[in-house]
Amino acid sequence: MRRCKPLLGTFVEITIQQEDAETSMNYAFSEIEKVQSLMSFHHPQSDLSKINRQAHLRPININIWTAQILNIAKDIHVHSGGLFNCGVGHRLITAGLLPNHLNINEHQFGGIEDLYFIDQETVSSMRPLCLDLGGIAKGFAVDMAVNTLIAGGVNSGAVNAGGDLRVFGNIPQIIYLRNPQAPSQLFEIGTLSNGAIATSGLYFSIRDKQKSHIVHPFKKTELDIDEHFLESYSILAKECVYADALTKVLALSRQQNHPCFAHYSAQAIRISR
Amino acid sequence: MNWNPHPLTLIGLAIVSTPMIAQAKIYASVEQAQKLLLPNKQLHQTPILITKNLQEKMRVASSIRHPFQGNRIWKASDGSWFVIDEVVGKHEMITYAVGLNPTGSITGIEILEYVESYGYEVAEAQWRNQFVGKNIDDPIKLNQDIQNIGGATLSCKHIADGVKRVAVLHELVLKHMKSK
Repeated sequence: MRRCKPLLGTFVEITIQQEDAETSMNYAFSEIEKVQSLMSFHHPQSDLSKINRQAHLRPININIWTAQILNIAKDIHVHSGGLFNCGVGHRLITAGLLPNHLNINEHQFGGIEDLYFIDQETVSSMRPLCLDLGGIAKGFAVDMAVNTLIAGGVNSGAVNAGGDLRVFGNIPQIIYLRNPQAPSQLFEIGTLSNGAIATSGLYFSIRDKQKSHIVHPFKKTELDIDEHFLESYSILAKECVYADALTKVLALSRQQNHPCFAHYSAQAIRISR
Repeated sequence: MNWNPHPLTLIGLAIVSTPMIAQAKIYASVEQAQKLLLPNKQLHQTPILITKNLQEKMRVASSIRHPFQGNRIWKASDGSWFVIDEVVGKHEMITYAVGLNPTGSITGIEILEYVESYGYEVAEAQWRNQFVGKNIDDPIKLNQDIQNIGGATLSCKHIADGVKRVAVLHELVLKHMKSK
């Protein structure tokens, strides 16, 4: 069976070998919807919006999944030497890529490093935050969907959230990557089983005349803050959340051997033409 | 994780080999989408005449220029609706289904097919027409079964716009239609 739904701002496709696993398939899509509602920047009642509004004022109670993704985001922030930082929402607002419902001019925002845990499901922050989980939530959602399918007895398949994908089961599956110079063209890059691949590329943004969504956390002036590149940067990892987040480290560092990748047993692929 | 790179990628040659072209993916037939979005409901096809005025209101609400076709609308006896629509962009053509409950809330969206192209061909009616009337049992002879395509995130904004015009259709017309 194969189905596709518009979720997380992209097209989420689930393919499984079995034909009779409709319930598991439905459940997997609903898990992705759950991630979407917890981590949406747009919805005022999402965990993320609550953190952005008030974490600097009072402790915020969050869902265990939100806690999990924030822990991963903090961990990758440390191991990437600060290159991966979700605290760039205000810069994406300035670029017109996210809606402005926080009065961004009134605050000096901190980063993910200012967020701390009071207990497992409660966070607070030293400074006002404008977190955006767009660089990690898709991968996390893919993992949650895969976990559900496996728990439902599905042996093998794939979940693809608009290019961030994970295959599960022991059957090796052929993986294609888009040609950054002509995205409707595909390169066969190898076979993968029980693993994930995610890609950062600006080719769709450039095609659709959008501003770059890859923002360098260290640069402060408006002129050089967003990154421009024509290549595509992909990461292979066991879980999609790491593949998704680490593509930003690769796109920003342009170092295929950044020590962070070995730490997470990940591999980097750059397509340059 | 078990990763086997394509032998050519190891020496950098895949980049010069001829790439394949992603084209069509068929996910569900109309009947399958009906069962997924409005399970256990008897649906009756209920075509609606889309007047110029209505077409214009739907265009303003969604900023989609491609005209809406009123012949792919189904109604359930409890007042739920099932609507098929498509978005035709410069780079893709996507047919999708929307389920609405009697109050007009969206109960779900399902992609029926996704046709991607070189770019310009998709805008030409003749090229598009080869897909009209096809369904999952009648596969199109293209590279439709290329699975596992990785890459930069593809936006689904066009679908969100499309759903807006379906919501307008419900607000202006469907909710005022009495049950037979």
